[in-house]
Amino acid sequence: MTSVAAAQTPPIDIAGRPRRTLRVRLARRTWPYLLLAPSLVLLAAFTYLPIARVAWESLHDRPHGTAKSLFVGLGNYAALFHDKAFIQSVINNLIYAVGTVPPSMALALLFALALQSSSRINAMLRAILLFPSMVPLVAAASLFFFIFLPGVGLADYYLAKIGVRGFNWLGDPDIALWSLIAITVWKNAGYYMLFYLAGLQTLPGEVLEAATIDGANGWQRLRHVIVPLLAPTTAFVLVIALINVLTQVDHVIVLTKGGPSNSTKLVLYYIFEQAHENFAAGKAAAASLLSVAFLLAMSIVSLKTMERGAHAAS
Amino acid sequence: MRRPSLIIGGLMLVTAFFWSTPFLWTLVASFRPQSAGGIGMASLVPDYVPTLGHFKEAFETGDFGVYYVNTAIVAFGILAVQIVTISLAGYAFARLSFPGRDFIFYVFLLQLMLVPPILIVPNLRTIVDLGLYGSLLGVMAPYFASAFGTFLMRQTFRQIPRDFEEAAVIDGAHWWQTLWHVLLPMAKPGLIAFSLVSLMAHWNEFLWPLMVLNEPSTQTLTIGLASFALGTEGGREWGLLAAGTLLVMFPLLALFAVFQRQFVNSFMFAGLKG
Amino acid sequence: MRWLSSLSAIAVALVAGAAQAQTKIDFFFPVPVDGKLAKEMTRLVKVYNDSQKDIAVTAVYTGSYDETKLKAQAAANAGKPPGLVLMSANFVLDLKLAGDIVSLEPLLKAENTTRLKFLDDFWPALWANATVDGELYAIPFQNSTPLLYYNKEHFKAAGLDPEKPPQTWAELVDAAKKLSTAEHTGFGLPEGYDYMGWIMEALCLSNGGRYYNEEYGGEVYYDTPTMLGAVQFVEDLVFKHRVMQQGVVEGPALSTNFLAGKVSMMLLSTGSLSFIRDNMKQAYGVAFVPRNLRNAVPIGGGSLVMFKGLADDQKAAAWKFAKWLSSTETLGGWSRFTGYFAPRKSSYDTAEMKDFMAKNPEAKVAIEQLPYAKPWFATYQTVAVRKALEDEVQAVLNGKKKAAQAVKDAQKNADTLMKPYADQTALKVP
Repeated sequence: MTSVAAAQTPPIDIAGRPRRTLRVRLARRTWPYLLLAPSLVLLAAFTYLPIARVAWESLHDRPHGTAKSLFVGLGNYAALFHDKAFIQSVINNLIYAVGTVPPSMALALLFALALQSSSRINAMLRAILLFPSMVPLVAAASLFFFIFLPGVGLADYYLAKIGVRGFNWLGDPDIALWSLIAITVWKNAGYYMLFYLAGLQTLPGEVLEAATIDGANGWQRLRHVIVPLLAPTTAFVLVIALINVLTQVDHVIVLTKGGPSNSTKLVLYYIFEQAHENFAAGKAAAASLLSVAFLLAMSIVSLKTMERGAHAAS
Repeated sequence: MRRPSLIIGGLMLVTAFFWSTPFLWTLVASFRPQSAGGIGMASLVPDYVPTLGHFKEAFETGDFGVYYVNTAIVAFGILAVQIVTISLAGYAFARLSFPGRDFIFYVFLLQLMLVPPILIVPNLRTIVDLGLYGSLLGVMAPYFASAFGTFLMRQTFRQIPRDFEEAAVIDGAHWWQTLWHVLLPMAKPGLIAFSLVSLMAHWNEFLWPLMVLNEPSTQTLTIGLASFALGTEGGREWGLLAAGTLLVMFPLLALFAVFQRQFVNSFMFAGLKG
Repeated sequence: MRWLSSLSAIAVALVAGAAQAQTKIDFFFPVPVDGKLAKEMTRLVKVYNDSQKDIAVTAVYTGSYDETKLKAQAAANAGKPPGLVLMSANFVLDLKLAGDIVSLEPLLKAENTTRLKFLDDFWPALWANATVDGELYAIPFQNSTPLLYYNKEHFKAAGLDPEKPPQTWAELVDAAKKLSTAEHTGFGLPEGYDYMGWIMEALCLSNGGRYYNEEYGGEVYYDTPTMLGAVQFVEDLVFKHRVMQQGVVEGPALSTNFLAGKVSMMLLSTGSLSFIRDNMKQAYGVAFVPRNLRNAVPIGGGSLVMFKGLADDQKAAAWKFAKWLSSTETLGGWSRFTGYFAPRKSSYDTAEMKDFMAKNPEAKVAIEQLPYAKPWFATYQTVAVRKALEDEVQAVLNGKKKAAQAVKDAQKNADTLMKPYADQTALKVP
């Protein structure tokens, strides 16, 4: 940037300061946007257009069996809050969030810390932990279907060997959601570990050395130096994890379809159902927009809090 | 400090074992002769004479050659374009200040919060309008911009101390030179992490390719796998499914093995960590 | 790859010259039962394409029934409707109400035939699901009914006659009690969404009931003695007679358990017959679904429908293809390959079929049960109304509710779901 300015001798203004030409000023001002342009154009076509469409749809209702679409304003949103299934799905999702986000993030950090140095064994262990994300969902779901099969499935088979009677992992409404939570933690912990590993690599070594020289032990180093310095990574992982809570429902679709008795119905699955089974596109759109708004709010809050914390720490 | 690391090491090994039980079972089941039933089918111990029959059957039933090529084109094609878009955008958000920066960033993030039910119908329409229906490019297009990648790059760049860039600027470097020669190499861990994530996500994607693609010769691995290994009514041929799964995953595992070394060794480049 | 196929397309076009009045249509099909069905279907379509030059059909595997519906609707909305789609037989009513599929009457008229003449060769039980408001909307392609599968070796071990499977509910309970040992449970049902509803219809019909109003999509009969008896029976199997596992057991779980010898008897679709035949190591048999008051079972399976938005030449092409696909020989071959039964009566008069039946006596049982078959329930909001019942029965299976309360709640929820339709039709009195 300085080079562009240095290339021409700038005119001097009244106070004697160099005055940038209009062209240079414009160039400087617009090029951040130029950098963003490719992404924005693509996002406009494939992201914002759909959002606009969803917003539009959420204000309309086309009752199944009729051809006309009626404008109902906020009617769909009101209907949502009167729908027991929706309320149930929100509750399920909250439980699901609490059950998946803290454990998977904590495990991810621990794994990253334990496996950060490069050695053959570590490389293999990392691969094993990352493996769950590498399995295509169509297979993973069948795999877990098998593992949780009552009787001949993997879980029950080995439990029987130690004399414990297996549960109906996916067929008991009290347990099913927890089985799904277990699958999610299994799938995501290694994936989040990847980001913590990347984050750890970019930590400045001098600060850690300084802390050790100052006499801090492992635990203190972790709490007071590493974790705060990792704040941007944690912010990132937290946002991703929260988003996943609302957007990953493939296991529900393949394993339980929201059952038994609605115990595993998550909000996104509710949306799927309304849109595709109940032909209630308006309600589905309203629920979708609410989730997007909620997630956006959560992301902004997480980012702002974490990053403010990082500034304070450094 | 030998003791703690032994304990930690031990714990990790045990955890890894439990973590990998599904994988171990897949491995064992893919060679097990009896495909669909049998009391000992859950056993992790290979107590049988291994057979390559399921792999053979998988190859006969599915056009794996075609699937591999198509999937590779999609996954790598997406990644190539993404690296360009996310580096540019990530740099802009991390290092430049301009009006509306935070707002635009949050608007970017919206992409992460959208899900198939919202996206399928409108995006399919757009793809049809662009004349890309039924093509691999149509599968790739919506992913060329990546909010996730941009987000990751932004965070990664932010973690890199500014001293290096300031030194480069003093040396008279243009912005793109700073980006290419200083920032990107230091952001390598993040870039590699992103590459792995992106490849895995798009390699394993099922629903969107299913919607866009029609001709069997264009279909990808996941669609192929589903077409012969899954039955929604009746039963499951576990052996065949296990073999098919391994065939689908194999390139990813190989890729990860190669990338991993790069990934860990990358920190040595910038001499950041002692 | 696209440039490669474009290149070869160009090459072909150059060589083929002027034979380019080809109409292109897509055929979307799901794979509902295990096996190499996708490959077989693709092969069939190739046979058709090779047999004539006017129409080029692209056989597209599209996932499960749900994914197929999703793709067909998305493609239609994007302006690229598929020429023909294989859909779940009881979705036809809802698809028609949603305006997604078109009536086939104009095509029948163009051939100077009528619906009744066209359907004449099809089994009567299939007519109701193919027709909406007196018009033909679907062509049955593959069908099934539930069957009782039982492990003959377990029977022998329990002192039961393996050639005399239970025919009534009382006999079923009796046999199940004797068959329940430490190694295996006596009886099992597939209880996941979709399957459960079908089985409940089977039990309800066997109990003398109707489940739904076949002529009006706004009424179901959940809170009735016939349905209550069926649900009570299910509850007792788990808690009173203790011959069935508590909790929800999905279809594939049940069949895997049957193959592993962990359950001695089960109700499952005839569509799984080939699968069981190929994988069952012990001797097994099939029988009619046991009756309480009468023998009656619902049909299941898939039918061919045409989505909206097709050009006239595409419609004509799709119709031609549909007729070929649903011809006597093709349906017969598909039936032998899959285990579904062929929707046409004439398919059973062919030499290959007679031969097949002679070699596979279990397939005969499904055919013999056909005179007792009834339509699959299809109402306004079929899936939601079905789930209203399934959720309750699942709660019963888990010991959370009693049968009497379950059917009351199911009826209440179903009525609420169907109210918009009822308000527009039966309740709209001047």
